[in-house]
Amino acid sequence: MAIFLQLLFTGIGIGAVYSLVALGFVLIYRATNVVNFAQGEFAMLGAYAMVVLTEDVGLPYWAAIPISLVAMGVIGALFNLGVYYPLRHRSFLPVVISTIGASILLTNSVLVGYGPAPESLPGMFEFPGFQVGEVFLDSQYLLIIAVTILLVAFQYFFFEHTLLGKKMQATSQDKEMASLLGIPVARMIMLTFIYSAILGGLAGILVAPILFVSVGLGSQVALKAFAASIIGGFGDVTGAIVGGLSLGIIETFGAAYISVPYKDAFAFLVLFGFLLIRPQGIFGEKVAQKA
Amino acid sequence: MSTRHMTACALVALALGYGVASQASAGEIKIGMVTPITGPAAESGKYAQIGANMAIDEINAAGGVNGNKLTLVVEDDQTTNPGAVAAFSRLASQSDISVFLGSIRSTQVDAMSPDIVKLGKPVFIGGTAPQLTHQGNQWLFRCRPNDSYSARVIADFGVDTLGLKKWAVVHSTDAFGTGGMTALVAALKTHGLEPTLVQGYPNQSPDFSAVVLAVKSSGADVIGSYFTFENDLGIFAKQLKQFGVQAKWVGSPSITTSTALKLAGPSLYGTYGIADFAADSSPEAKAFDAKYQPIAHVPADNFGSWTFDAVHIAAKAMADAKTTEPAKVRAAILAIKGYKGVEGTYNFDQNGDGLHGYNIVRNDGGKIVFDKHVEYND
Repeated sequence: MAIFLQLLFTGIGIGAVYSLVALGFVLIYRATNVVNFAQGEFAMLGAYAMVVLTEDVGLPYWAAIPISLVAMGVIGALFNLGVYYPLRHRSFLPVVISTIGASILLTNSVLVGYGPAPESLPGMFEFPGFQVGEVFLDSQYLLIIAVTILLVAFQYFFFEHTLLGKKMQATSQDKEMASLLGIPVARMIMLTFIYSAILGGLAGILVAPILFVSVGLGSQVALKAFAASIIGGFGDVTGAIVGGLSLGIIETFGAAYISVPYKDAFAFLVLFGFLLIRPQGIFGEKVAQKA
Repeated sequence: MSTRHMTACALVALALGYGVASQASAGEIKIGMVTPITGPAAESGKYAQIGANMAIDEINAAGGVNGNKLTLVVEDDQTTNPGAVAAFSRLASQSDISVFLGSIRSTQVDAMSPDIVKLGKPVFIGGTAPQLTHQGNQWLFRCRPNDSYSARVIADFGVDTLGLKKWAVVHSTDAFGTGGMTALVAALKTHGLEPTLVQGYPNQSPDFSAVVLAVKSSGADVIGSYFTFENDLGIFAKQLKQFGVQAKWVGSPSITTSTALKLAGPSLYGTYGIADFAADSSPEAKAFDAKYQPIAHVPADNFGSWTFDAVHIAAKAMADAKTTEPAKVRAAILAIKGYKGVEGTYNFDQNGDGLHGYNIVRNDGGKIVFDKHVEYND
């Protein structure tokens, strides 16, 4: 039983990591109908910003977090201006390819600027975690789970109960109609990229103490997060969370009780299953309407 | 023969690689290097280049090879097998490259091996999967001891010195990890032992809880490991501590690298490792470490040491052969006996393996401390 509970906690923890990154995918998709394949790199940049600020500049950990997030907001704005805005009138594919190109550019820019050495970032708390019976609760995973819950609540409230959130949704569903209604479409999209980059950066800061900081940090989780978004229903906040948590739990239990080497296969088998049987995902009605 | 015919013949000869391959006149000798500049192992690639360039600087300062200066031509393998094959292909198309430094990762050497056979020029490798030099590829020369030795040292040390009998073998499922696991299981068999657990894992895993819990459930009192990437090793080490696994740990060389020490920190205190490079194992190793640290800003490890030795051995072989012609250089490499490198004393056998033993080291509060060297005669 202790092993089962330990696996469940770890599965939820790693699933929350996928969910956090998946939230960024969903946010951009809801606002622009575009999949941003550089979302993982936002996480990587957020983690590197922390390393630079805490180790190179010498700032205290808690002071470095808001500065890193502001920096990520600026990067999000620049990303919008450089990667999305020039192609905003083009079809889906050129924009997606543009984000893939940006992902490669960001990865290699960090490689050139900071070097290939992976770095370790300390956790946000001094204590490593709690021992409850035979189950160890990692403090960093607990924090990730807590932040994920808060962000879900925030995003739900934001999109469903604020004018700004509704404007962003309207922009996503029909840009021309939104524009005719007086919604500043370009500004809405800019805000979405800024928030999405901050969200990605926050995910990177949170997972860095577990996965270490390297240029591969983003790609290490982004692919699973993307799969989680599809399983949950692309474009749906609740779907991203449920998809991420499901994927984390499935692969952790699959690894423990079936086969560790095929761990990644379980996640993608679930993805294939959904694509075949329910391509719109668990909460996918809105995606079906958009399509 | 008209001037046009002579020019045409010269061009054909150059295209066939004769122009440079057999030259020994003043000029330069190019060494091609396939190494990760991007991807998860990019840091190790940086150290590999530092080691190779240190050797080249030493050799050139001493007059070069047969009056020629050595230069290094580097291609990025992107830490992937297709990247390694493409990088080697780009280098192989340059007919004026005489010898090559291949990868430290067995899986990439495996991927490049057919092209190496086709090219027919000496390629030095750091990959330690035993089969690499035992499959009839006569152009591979290994400047690290292979895992048939590492596995024996791990098993002998764990069983005879630590007195531990219940083994969990944890390994990457790539060519290196699988080769190491096979060799370690075989080595344990010579002690009359069957591992209580043999557990593979895929590279670049964000979570090792299933592996750690399997080790815990197995009741093993010692872990023998073959990790390919240090970030995987770091996550495993941290979760091992978190889940309260008390087993001793004797790891393959990745447990001793500077990157592993930095990432895993206290989680690796008290562990044992086998290392082809250990700064205190010989005067040559100590001198290399002293020169390497100011350049790399980290203590020397096997990433830099094997390329340093490979360049020196390539230079020695070309100097001994007095040519860069591949067949003669190959014969000169195989004739090298008793050469004291920084990794150990090289005695090349007919398979192309230069080293036949390992150092045992332990992590003493984050510092790698040399324990002893174990040499085999086979």
